[in-house]
Amino acid sequence: MITRTTALLLAAMLAIAPVTMAAEANKPAPPQIWRVGNGAEPQDLDPQAIQGVTEDNVVMALFEGLASEDPHDLHPVPGVATSWDISPDGLVYTFHLRANAHWSNGDPLTADDFLQSYRRILSPTFASEYAYLVYDYVAGAREYYDGKLKDFAQVGFKAPDPLTLQVTLKNPTPYLLNIIASHCAWNPLPVRVIARFGAVDQRRTPWTRAGNLVGNGPFLLKEWRPNQKITVVRNPQYWDAATVKLDAIEFYPTDDISNEERMFRTGQLDMTYELPIAKIDAYRKDHPDTLRIEPWLGLYYYDCNVQRPPLNDKRVRKALALAIDRESLVKNVTRGGERPAYAVSYPGTAGYTPRARLEGGLDEARRLLAEAGFPGGKGCPTIELLYNSSETHRAIAEVVQAMWRKNLGVDVRLVNQEWKVYLDMRHTTNFTLARAGWIADYVDPNVFLEIFVTGNGNNDTNWSNPEYDRLFAAALSAHSNAERYEIYQKMDAILVDEVPVIPVYDYTRVHAVSPRIKGYYPTLLDHHPYKYIWLED
Amino acid sequence: MVSLSPQNLPSADLTTDQLERGTSLWRDAWHRLRRNRLAVFGGTVVIVFSLTCVLAPWIFHLSYQDQNLDLGAVAPNAQHWLGTDTLGRDLLARILYGGRISLMVGLVASLVALVIGVSYGAIAGYVGGTLDSVMMRIVDIMYALPFTIFVILLMVFLKDPMQAVDAWLGRFSIFGFHAFEGMQGVGKILLLFAAIGAVEWLTMARIVRGQILSIKKMEYIEAARSMGLGTPRIIFRHMVPNVLGPVIVYTSLTIPAVMLLESFLSFLGLGVDAPMSSLGTLIKDGSEKMEEFWWLLVFPGGAFSLTLFSLNFLGDGLRDALDVRASKD
Repeated sequence: MITRTTALLLAAMLAIAPVTMAAEANKPAPPQIWRVGNGAEPQDLDPQAIQGVTEDNVVMALFEGLASEDPHDLHPVPGVATSWDISPDGLVYTFHLRANAHWSNGDPLTADDFLQSYRRILSPTFASEYAYLVYDYVAGAREYYDGKLKDFAQVGFKAPDPLTLQVTLKNPTPYLLNIIASHCAWNPLPVRVIARFGAVDQRRTPWTRAGNLVGNGPFLLKEWRPNQKITVVRNPQYWDAATVKLDAIEFYPTDDISNEERMFRTGQLDMTYELPIAKIDAYRKDHPDTLRIEPWLGLYYYDCNVQRPPLNDKRVRKALALAIDRESLVKNVTRGGERPAYAVSYPGTAGYTPRARLEGGLDEARRLLAEAGFPGGKGCPTIELLYNSSETHRAIAEVVQAMWRKNLGVDVRLVNQEWKVYLDMRHTTNFTLARAGWIADYVDPNVFLEIFVTGNGNNDTNWSNPEYDRLFAAALSAHSNAERYEIYQKMDAILVDEVPVIPVYDYTRVHAVSPRIKGYYPTLLDHHPYKYIWLED
Repeated sequence: MVSLSPQNLPSADLTTDQLERGTSLWRDAWHRLRRNRLAVFGGTVVIVFSLTCVLAPWIFHLSYQDQNLDLGAVAPNAQHWLGTDTLGRDLLARILYGGRISLMVGLVASLVALVIGVSYGAIAGYVGGTLDSVMMRIVDIMYALPFTIFVILLMVFLKDPMQAVDAWLGRFSIFGFHAFEGMQGVGKILLLFAAIGAVEWLTMARIVRGQILSIKKMEYIEAARSMGLGTPRIIFRHMVPNVLGPVIVYTSLTIPAVMLLESFLSFLGLGVDAPMSSLGTLIKDGSEKMEEFWWLLVFPGGAFSLTLFSLNFLGDGLRDALDVRASKD
């Protein structure tokens, strides 16, 4: 043990040393290489097959959609399309593509590429988790996805000429451009290139490897060394290459956040993915210039498997939801200025704040539990709480477990699994209670409510409610935002009443960013269009 | 043989009580052990630490999981002698409960390895021939199994029996004293380490076989055989006590190795479940927070090092005391 302790102390000293003697040699215009801690090893880089923030961070460098995001507030700005027209009834979008848009292999990017890509994401055999971002809105897309419509030409995508793309919607969707700008589901893919490496509607073909992957974004994939780093370099074929300031971005998989923080301090990283909770206060005091705490449109919650006892009883779920002291949790445990969440939707998303709220104190919680047949927790089976291995998730789970035991007398057993096993258990609903997080893909209240619709690829709770599905369909065809938001209020009320998920807190983004990074602005989605970022010494 | 010879001497000069009673192998060994100060120190520390781990939480009603979020992490003070962790849990209580787990794990796994390894190696070595070849090839094959995969497989297959053991341990009591009360997942870790012990015996079997081969042809074994003793009696009565030296040394090395292994597995989610902790997981947590909260690393690390040192000293002393060929008598 001594050896290990000594080694750790030594490592700590080494970690501190370079900071104290940080004397930079003045070299003429060093290359602009941005080194980013990116959480984990990406599972895939296929924009239509990814779900995680980690994967999305890399894909955003490699691909660009019809519209892209403004670096300050993420409003849609021209991307591959120079401009777009919306018909007066809001149903037909006409995108005018730029003539100088190219793939990184030099091929011109045309409207046909978009058609091919949308055909791929909607194909039933590909089964993209995010297909709903297309089929919920585009006319005929749902039927094609369900296999009822065989002819893709019937779906609401048309290419009258190589530089014009016309999209016909089922309903006017005021936030469609936000989805297009912010989420990769609407990005064009080099389908002709993909076809060279295997079936187009098949996952994990080698087209995403470095050397094979062809993109249209500001950067291109130079190297992917699994579990070491992913390097992307400036793409000379990009239409706006003159704006791109960085020469390269390196994404490092950093599962071990303590180690990541050490790498940041020794100057091996310019930005971390997270910060260990124990370090937040120290950073507040000693490095306020590197600590970034920003609102992040996301919800930390627990998924209930509503088919497993005792969580098949909504009174038990509600009792559990009411017995968490969220104020104390965010103040003493997570410590990053998170906001306690009493409803599913994030308050203030595009002007929408849910009125529904988990209400009732501990007495109400105990009453509900007794009503469900477990007075004082007696007779209540032990509940297994699944979480993925991480210091932060464990601390939160331990605290919630203690609160439930103390307040309700309910025994909870913590089960910790590695990321891929955890994801698999969640998607097969092989759990009773599971930790989950949902980070918004675009700025609209719809983003939190759509995942609890029956059949949604991201609904892992087995929960299904016809009234909720009906309201969701009604919201899609609502005529104004006011009308839509009123429907969302009802949906939020159903979620609070039925408690298929137990909201815990609204995220904040807590990480360390070197002051050298410029052009990096706080945004609600934590998207930072890379082409505007540069380094200053 | 030290024990045999005095008793079998002609009784001509057996006048004193002392000579008549003779001194057994174990008595001699005990005598030599007591003269070894480091070993006595090691043994005392191990016993005191084990007793504290078992009794103190019960006597002082310490809890490893009672949180005080408003308190958070505080340095050692009069109320919390070793401070508290970031969730306001008393570190002393967590070390004592963690010590229970680590010691238990070390003992269970090493005992399993000891029993299987010694019997297996002794039989293979003594019988020899085809049986020896077959038995040792089985050992070679088991060596080739990847350890982690083996443990994960065991965890999958033993999930249900483990929960049964868990429930049974929860009710278990000695003289009305519930040793495992409130310790969740103990059944899981016990079975896991019984299983690890079942893998760890391989080296032990090889060592014992080698030793047995070297003493197999010695006169006293020939003598025992010519007197018509059965094979089991020869192996366990005459041969095994003579190879105890290396066995004890190796066991004293196995215990700390197993304790370290446990912390590795707990990190992967295969060992103890939070909020329960072992010394290994406490140290891992502490090392992540050592710059802010030094006591979270220093005290569990200190307790772990002290235990391992003591076990090593004790093992060393036992070897000196028991290895008849190394001794000067």
